[in-house]
Amino acid sequence: MRIMGAILLFAFWLLLSDSFDPARVGAGAFFAGLVMWLQPARKTSTHKFSWLAALGYLPWLTGRILKSGLHVSRLILDPKLPISPRLIHHHTELDGDGELVVLGNSITLTPGTITVEVAPGELVVHAIDEASSVDLREGVLDAKIGRMFSRGAGT
Amino acid sequence: MTVLAIGLIVFGLFFLIVGSIGMLRLPNVFVRAHALSLTDSLGAVLVLAGLAVYQGLSMNFLKIMVVLILVYLLNPVISHATIRAAHRSGLRTSEGKTE
Repeated sequence: MRIMGAILLFAFWLLLSDSFDPARVGAGAFFAGLVMWLQPARKTSTHKFSWLAALGYLPWLTGRILKSGLHVSRLILDPKLPISPRLIHHHTELDGDGELVVLGNSITLTPGTITVEVAPGELVVHAIDEASSVDLREGVLDAKIGRMFSRGAGT
Repeated sequence: MTVLAIGLIVFGLFFLIVGSIGMLRLPNVFVRAHALSLTDSLGAVLVLAGLAVYQGLSMNFLKIMVVLILVYLLNPVISHATIRAAHRSGLRTSEGKTE
């Protein structure tokens, strides 16, 4: 895990430094190693993360963002400003940290809905109008994210 | 390729402008945050994607991609933190009609 992290950090360094003379590359390797060595051990998640499902999730989320973005644009540009803001208490089956982060982030990324409070099993979401909250109430997001984090055997 | 880039950037600018108009027209902090998420997750992202397409495959393309990913990951966190702070400090969320 730490070696993977160090390699990722090193790749990030190379990406940003844009030069390949040995001193820079050496410094990058040194600091990538140092950071990962100094980092305290984290407890491992009990949920297995599926990159394949995540790859399918991203385009779907982008499409959804585009759709509700156009919807919110229409609301804003409408002379009558037909908004009806509301708070929704959203119950969810998801309880892992990673799942909740992805769920909360996805909700906030989607125009028209914003995560206000997060707790395992329950989210408070602010929605700009009725239509924006429909997808959330149907639990489409939860199902997709649940597929991304399958419950595997862990510590 | 250039045409696609221009299309993406213009589309992004449309959302940036609509987000700004929303910022002025909408009544309170909670609803205004929705206009903000419009500029974040569509405006900025589309402009960056347009720049990436215009740039073609290069080091700069990868850097723009890093920025894109960071925008996607961090902007919702900032909106959420702001809105949660507003909620906890007892600002009214004005259920129902607002004026």
